[in-house]
Amino acid sequence: MADIRFTLNGKEVAYGGSATDRLLEVLRNEYRCTSVKCGCKEGECGACSVLIDGTLLNSCCVAMGAVEGARVVTMEGFRETERFAALDKAFGELSAVQCGFCIPGMVLAAEALLSKNAHPTEDEIREGLSGNLCRCTGYNAIVNAVANAAKEGNGLW
Amino acid sequence: MVNGYVAASLKEALEIRAAHDVVPYAGGTDLMVENRKGVEYLFLSKVPELKQIAVDDEYVRIGAAVTFTEALASADVPRLMKEAASRIAAPAIRNAGTFGGNLGNGSAKADSVLIEFVADAKLRLVSKKGERIVDVDKFYLGRKKLDLADDELIAEILLPKQGLEQYSYEKVGGRNALAISRVSFAGVFAAEGGRITNVAAAFGAVADTVLRYKDIEATLLGKTVDEAKALKEDYLKAYADRMVLTRGRVSAEYRKTVCMNLLRDFLTKFGI
Repeated sequence: MADIRFTLNGKEVAYGGSATDRLLEVLRNEYRCTSVKCGCKEGECGACSVLIDGTLLNSCCVAMGAVEGARVVTMEGFRETERFAALDKAFGELSAVQCGFCIPGMVLAAEALLSKNAHPTEDEIREGLSGNLCRCTGYNAIVNAVANAAKEGNGLW
Repeated sequence: MVNGYVAASLKEALEIRAAHDVVPYAGGTDLMVENRKGVEYLFLSKVPELKQIAVDDEYVRIGAAVTFTEALASADVPRLMKEAASRIAAPAIRNAGTFGGNLGNGSAKADSVLIEFVADAKLRLVSKKGERIVDVDKFYLGRKKLDLADDELIAEILLPKQGLEQYSYEKVGGRNALAISRVSFAGVFAAEGGRITNVAAAFGAVADTVLRYKDIEATLLGKTVDEAKALKEDYLKAYADRMVLTRGRVSAEYRKTVCMNLLRDFLTKFGI
């Protein structure tokens, strides 16, 4: 039986398990991409957000068969980019990170937003991050950090 | 692939559907929450025939594997449907969730299905043997009860192109984003030459299926707005008598009150 082939953070991989397995669990357990957090397994918290062919998706709600031929990017791959550096700096400067559990998903949601809309309004940022829950920060610092990253990283997106 | 089939065309999808006991998988956002054991999925997101939004003389035809995000980006999808789609969950779910999946999950809380009910949408169902067109209210029979045979797939949603311009849409949820509807309401109004030609009202998330009472609606058809206004309280009473709501995340009484308020607001909005 043929494996499920896809690229993970730029590297071609083949998964021999079930097509019904959850991408979230495969990323964490098989490929040790532990930046992908498991918060709810219901698509309600965004902690497991990944980019699939550039689109933000909750990896808890993706079956392995659906990633055949796709490009999957997690924080382990995204952190190597200049865009990440701009977001990292902005999140750090504004203390937008407390416990950190939501942050990989939050940053990938920001990347998905900025890649479609390089200069979002505050409302657009809140909408873009609306699927990512944070129990520490109260969101304002995160929203401001994304706005700053868009400004400071002008031209990256 | 173990426990799954990826179809590259509708023909291939229908052959797999007929030959194997498979669960159609479009966006996965409901299926993966349900997480059924011992199933095989038929992955449909790469079937081009199910990914199109097309327009003909009468209908906007939305492919079953079109995502809510894709519909929101389309100039052809009616504003009422876009308003409902934009209130579904959050970006990552709208990027995956599809019109066919929203129907196939068989829940009366499905936000796009409410619009299909109020719009008198039809569905095109296909199998190896052929196809049939059914009214959405004949398809959606109750909780998890759909008129879909084991060898059939939902191919398209046929939304009327015209007549959905004047509407009310309200979703009552526990929060702005990521909310499952506690009560949802859609109303569509139309008048011609001073006479009411349509006053459709549909209620979601309050019973086993979306509720709509065409016989009560009919009592206002052909009336002027002033005549309808005189009938308003009787009309509302007819709904209140008919609506038997189930308890869900909130009480049946709360749901009933909200439904009646939303119906009254809808009539008022269009001068009734």
